[in-house]
Amino acid sequence: MLQHVAALWKFRHFLLALVKLDLRQRYRRSILGIGWSLLNPIAMTIVFTVVFSNLLGNGDPISYAATVLTGMAIWGFLRDSTLNGCRCFATNEAYIRQSPIPYTLYTLRTVLGQAIHSSIALAVVVVMVALTKGDGSVILRLFAVFPGLIILFFAAWGAATISAFANVFFHDTLHLLEVAAQILFFLTPIMYSRRLLDEKQLGWVIDVNPVYWLLELTRTPLLTGQLPTLQMYLAGMGAAVALVGLAAGTVAWLQRRVIFHL
Amino acid sequence: MPRIEVNSASVTFTLQPTRQLTLKEYLLQGLFRGSLNPNPCVAIHALSDITFSARDGDRIGVIGHNGAGKSTLLKLLAGIYTPSRGSCSVEGRICSLFDITLGFEPDATGWENIEYRAYMQGETPAGLRAKRESIGAFSELGEFLNFPVRNYSAGMRMRLAFAIATATDPEVLLIDEVLAVGDMAFQAKARARMRELMSASRLMVLVSHDLNTIAETCTHVLWMKRGRVVRAGPPAEIIQAYCDHVAQQAELRAARSAAGSADAGEPGDAAKAA
Repeated sequence: MLQHVAALWKFRHFLLALVKLDLRQRYRRSILGIGWSLLNPIAMTIVFTVVFSNLLGNGDPISYAATVLTGMAIWGFLRDSTLNGCRCFATNEAYIRQSPIPYTLYTLRTVLGQAIHSSIALAVVVVMVALTKGDGSVILRLFAVFPGLIILFFAAWGAATISAFANVFFHDTLHLLEVAAQILFFLTPIMYSRRLLDEKQLGWVIDVNPVYWLLELTRTPLLTGQLPTLQMYLAGMGAAVALVGLAAGTVAWLQRRVIFHL
Repeated sequence: MPRIEVNSASVTFTLQPTRQLTLKEYLLQGLFRGSLNPNPCVAIHALSDITFSARDGDRIGVIGHNGAGKSTLLKLLAGIYTPSRGSCSVEGRICSLFDITLGFEPDATGWENIEYRAYMQGETPAGLRAKRESIGAFSELGEFLNFPVRNYSAGMRMRLAFAIATATDPEVLLIDEVLAVGDMAFQAKARARMRELMSASRLMVLVSHDLNTIAETCTHVLWMKRGRVVRAGPPAEIIQAYCDHVAQQAELRAARSAAGSADAGEPGDAAKAA
């Protein structure tokens, strides 16, 4: 395990160069650049706000929009990390066949790219909250957001690693995960607040959903200014530790064999 | 002190020859065990029970037919494959020259790819800065280095790959037939670079079908067949034995095909002999 991390560290320059390349390609190939990549979450947020802010929100469209955009950014990060993780080993096959670099470096390439991408959406939320509420203290709250983001990052890395290995052995993993992601999106309070389910005694559906806890770790401090509760930290960290543990087990189990199935 | 120690190492893996099972099928099989005809797995013994060691100054040549496991052995030494049984340890800075034209980022420029490749080989930014210009100059690609690699011809890619891959200072050099690079002029230059590398490296394993090169450069030869080392020893002796064997096989085949055309049967035998 320690050896694995040391090997990752040794190839950090390789990793960072590839992440830089991914970002440049993502943002260079369009006129709008970074704005283009934000189009999807922002367009979705506008649609959700127009349609649902009275129905599902508390009547304040701006705070509803901030909630949805934060949710979309974090959800998008987890979803895209996991889904793109599936293609990860195929994309990096040539490197895998040439150099004994730990496989987790390639999933890290995917997740780091997604993380930077989603941070831009989160930055928009910060600016939006600061401007519309005339509340600059949102910037001071960022320190409370970072622990949640770090936990989220490791959870996504774990998930991407698991899906990457799974997809090598079962080529329909990506397809099944897309279906699962669609279901999970509606089960997670992203465009509605958990109050709506609590009122109908369905709160347990959210309590058992690890994505909810990972999401709240960032959303609560960012939007309300309150520190996440101990319960949130424990549940979020539990989810992350479980994913990372499962990923570490998968790596130990399959890393010797995976190259023969690429 | 560079050193290679391979102790009764085997590389075995299973493959599904027809097609891979999907996750849905796998889960369904779990639910209704035995109701679906399972896709049989075939075990491939790519390397069986290989034992050899090499010390500082050794030049190991590996010969054998296609599919004998020569490249698998190199990948085992490079750490890309891990032995499923036995052990394999290599000490020293490794430089591996195989599959070098794979793994370009097609949308990135030549210069950028120099950077990625060098980092992949474990280079540091400081070390790269020192070498960058000389890699570019050796490739002779000039201003084409500013273009994306997707616009390169196969020969240009090969030049760039060769220039990057050989710009190292290796202790253990693993080579898989990369001696035919680019056009005539570049080939002469590439040969010179290879010779330089070979003499600079402290330990070398060379896989080649060019028996002359093997005879010239190696101090020890392994003859591989179906994943096993059938003979090992001094180059002259092993190469002679290998040539005799190949000639014998060719004679056998000729005799068989003569007999085969007489009674028009057993087409599989010729394939087996090959």
